[in-house]
Amino acid sequence: MSHVSTRMTSGVSRRRFLERAGLAGIAVATMGSLPRRAFGQAPAFLKGARLAILQGTYFIAPAQDLYKREAQEWAKAVGATVTTDFLNWPDLQPKIAAAVQAGGVDIVELWPSWNWLYRDSLVDLTELAEEVGRKGGGYQAYVLNSARVSGRYLGIPSGQSNGSMAYRISSFKEAGVAGAEDGRKLDMTWEQYFALAKQLKAKGRPFGQALGHSTGDPPSFCYPYMWSHGAMEVDRDGKTVLFNKPEFVDAMKRFIQAWKDGYDETGTSWDDSNNNRAYLSGQISSTFNGSSIYFAAKKDKPDIAQDTHHMLIPKGPAGRFYWLGSRTFAILKSSKQVDAAKEYLRWWFGEKYDEWWRLQEGYHLPHVVKYDTDALWEKDPKMAPFKDQPKYGRDLGYAGPPNEKASLAYSKYIVVDTLARAVQGGSAEAAVKWGADQLQRIYG
Amino acid sequence: MVGSGRLGRQVLSLYLPLAAYLLFLLFPFYWMSIVSLKPTNDLFEMQYNPFWIQHLTLENYRYLFENTAFPEWVKNTLIVSTVSTALSLFCSVLIGYALARLRFPGSNFLGVGIFLAYLVPPTLLFLPLAHVIARLNLYNTYWALILTYPTQLIPFASWLLMGYFRSIPKEIEESAMADGCSRLQTLVRIILPLSVPGLLSAGIFSFTLCWNEFLYALIFMSSGAMKTIAVGTVSDLIKADTLFWGSLMASAVLGSVPIAILYSFFVKHYVSGLTAGAVKG
Amino acid sequence: MSVPRALSSTVGTTSSDARMRRRRAGLLEREASLGVLLMVPGALLLMVFMAYPFFLGIWLSLTDSMIGRMGRFVGLRNFVDLLGDDIFLQTTKNTFVYAMVTVPFKATLGLGLALVLNRAIRFSNGIRAAVMMPWIVPTALSTLGWFMIFDPVFSPISWLLRHLGLATRNVNFLGDPVLAISSVCLANIWRGIPFFGIIILAGLQAVPNELHEAAAIDGATTWQRFRHVTVPAIKGVVLIATLLSIIWTFADFQLIYVLTKGGPANQTHIFGTYAYQIGLAATEIGTGATIALYMFPILAFFAVLLLLYLRRED
Repeated sequence: MSHVSTRMTSGVSRRRFLERAGLAGIAVATMGSLPRRAFGQAPAFLKGARLAILQGTYFIAPAQDLYKREAQEWAKAVGATVTTDFLNWPDLQPKIAAAVQAGGVDIVELWPSWNWLYRDSLVDLTELAEEVGRKGGGYQAYVLNSARVSGRYLGIPSGQSNGSMAYRISSFKEAGVAGAEDGRKLDMTWEQYFALAKQLKAKGRPFGQALGHSTGDPPSFCYPYMWSHGAMEVDRDGKTVLFNKPEFVDAMKRFIQAWKDGYDETGTSWDDSNNNRAYLSGQISSTFNGSSIYFAAKKDKPDIAQDTHHMLIPKGPAGRFYWLGSRTFAILKSSKQVDAAKEYLRWWFGEKYDEWWRLQEGYHLPHVVKYDTDALWEKDPKMAPFKDQPKYGRDLGYAGPPNEKASLAYSKYIVVDTLARAVQGGSAEAAVKWGADQLQRIYG
Repeated sequence: MVGSGRLGRQVLSLYLPLAAYLLFLLFPFYWMSIVSLKPTNDLFEMQYNPFWIQHLTLENYRYLFENTAFPEWVKNTLIVSTVSTALSLFCSVLIGYALARLRFPGSNFLGVGIFLAYLVPPTLLFLPLAHVIARLNLYNTYWALILTYPTQLIPFASWLLMGYFRSIPKEIEESAMADGCSRLQTLVRIILPLSVPGLLSAGIFSFTLCWNEFLYALIFMSSGAMKTIAVGTVSDLIKADTLFWGSLMASAVLGSVPIAILYSFFVKHYVSGLTAGAVKG
Repeated sequence: MSVPRALSSTVGTTSSDARMRRRRAGLLEREASLGVLLMVPGALLLMVFMAYPFFLGIWLSLTDSMIGRMGRFVGLRNFVDLLGDDIFLQTTKNTFVYAMVTVPFKATLGLGLALVLNRAIRFSNGIRAAVMMPWIVPTALSTLGWFMIFDPVFSPISWLLRHLGLATRNVNFLGDPVLAISSVCLANIWRGIPFFGIIILAGLQAVPNELHEAAAIDGATTWQRFRHVTVPAIKGVVLIATLLSIIWTFADFQLIYVLTKGGPANQTHIFGTYAYQIGLAATEIGTGATIALYMFPILAFFAVLLLLYLRRED
């Protein structure tokens, strides 16, 4: 037996060693264990290490608590100190900016496309990321598309929270929708969806949509609306702006009309949380959101939970799309604990991701393929539409790469503001032209 | 007849407008208070009248103290405000005295320069200042605020104290110096005791500004438990899709009370501080 | 005072002691050196944490720096680009509207408050304390109150209007372009009235009663008394407060950040919040610094006015 180096304490090397010794089966059995057992003795460099982890606040609160517990579990086992900080997503960026310059944060969870924004400040984790991908049977297509910066992984992909149309079954039934009690049966176009909105608003139960400057719901609605009508930010060459298309302008006109006829018009000031509150207090009958509304309803408003289902996002003439990019857990170059951070991430993705994923009951779309056939998706039929999301996933900056320019356009809310301006000002042409000009300044 | 006419006029020209002002100026505080005393679920029941309390509860305050770092925020805000105020007063006393009594090369220029510091508000400075704070490794430490707040306080406090010092008759100092006291001794033993009202004004004004500050605290000191009350309230009680409205308002109420109390004891000094330059010109 | 003691201490000392004392006394006694010495602590702080960042900010605005990446010198390109940036122009317009609308309201309503307070004799201390609250209380906290009062779905004002039959749906306080800037102005006016009120009140109370009495005896009406006795007396005070308020409102951040973060669709962005979004969220520090610097000439203009006015009697 060769001497036990720190390399031996990592899961993969240990498994290789044991395989060679013909103990592969036993090794696999001991894989799912606390760091101390897996490591034998915690490697010296981990003892006394201080790690600071920064993440966005969870919409599924129990999962946030779980993550905190998991981090502490690791800390105790290896003798390190780990602090976990959670901020609202929009507030995260100034924090990251500070950490990039001055340190203070070792591991940060990045929203999709931020890996491009901060590329010069992130540690290259390609090796570790590929290992994680392999263990999961390969990454999902949307992850492969979005998690790499110029071919390198600057963070470990973790998946993304889900999102689709939540709706009140009773309201849809009232409006005469066939199959309303099972969202899996519903396959609407935008026109059909908007017609429903009009009917229901007349009865005092409009639809709701966030169009404010928030990282989640607004872009998750606006980008797909754009794509499903044949428009996009740029062409494959990454330069030609294809935003101002007549089909899109027509679609914008329909949206403006639908907004007036069928939506809660205060949506222009909504962030990611307003629609949750509005839906849970019965003010709106349908909205685009992750399954967090359903999750919260099950806890606090069981009758609304009972009356809620999810359907696929409506489709347009150019198809049906979701915005999907992967979040990543990255290590900042300014960190003084890069190796310890890598060990933590290796451990967490290897041992804890599964538990963390399951607790969210499908709210989080996994990063790897092996969960596609997981029983969790069958447990609650209401979660079914989310399973298909990755099929229709597209990323920012389509049809060009999801690069820095796409990230900038996203951070400036250009697409979101295009729709917001349209419904405020009433002119579809002016709004789309404005958006195209803004995109031109970034891509041109 | 005369009596009721007078009363009528009084109602119109005094009581009515006064009531209107009080209603407008105090309504938000009333709102914050009642929200803090209601269970959050009540807020979303559309049939309840939002203007009063259907079910009184202290749950929000309990949550604030047990489930958030609110006590830490108070500690942080106290430390930062007190030390910054002390530091600013120290610097301002020296500057105020120098500008009021001494002639030295560049005094005019420096005096104007200090005043021109008003030209450089935090919103103009915060980006490059973040860089400086990073370089000095002060991120997320009390020093990040203790050393930067005085830049906002010294200009006004120096100006205020300069005015106060100027208003002290020169004879008192001159006779003390003739007695052999050094300038510094006269400053400490004679001028300062005579300027207590001015010091109080400058001190309270500075303390209030520190307690109130947001932008620097948001950017330079806001990780984990190192938050001030303002930053903590805004960032920790608004989580994803849950606005803990009740505790949010409880924190806002509690965060305002110390300053309100401090102020009510020192009304006169705060006001005279505020108006010192304005009225004396 | 302590004449005999001080004098006696200088008598009967050795010559070297006296010389040392004179030398020490020299440095601390000479006006010039003492003056400079006294300025040092404050000047040092202002130099490191204000002057240096200011010039660093100017340098940043001349580069294309991003977070984590020191950029290259690009001259005035950022400044020029911003002038063609639709959102920046909107921001400039918003800031001017924000300042130019709120200040007259604050001044007028503050004047009204001062006039009323001047005549309220009973409970005057309590009332004075109460009316100062909007100004005293941390803005971030009181603005949270307004944030809830303006909520798109749960606003008590919407509730009241609907309850009274004056509205059929919730008021879009922070989502309608015109309403959003109005709401933000309303919160700002609310906060600023006490500042003007108290300052003007001090000015009013500095007017000697004899002037009013003399004018009354001469047969002046209330309005004439106001115009010819009160107004001249408080003109200076109002001017100072106005200039300060304009400067502070242009440089505001907290209120807008908490209420709208600059939305909807950038319609309430002011220089401070836009610089924050571009510099720290979109990571373009160079551009962010430029946005902030555009404030400088405006602030300089008003600050110089203020300085000139204050020094007019020196």
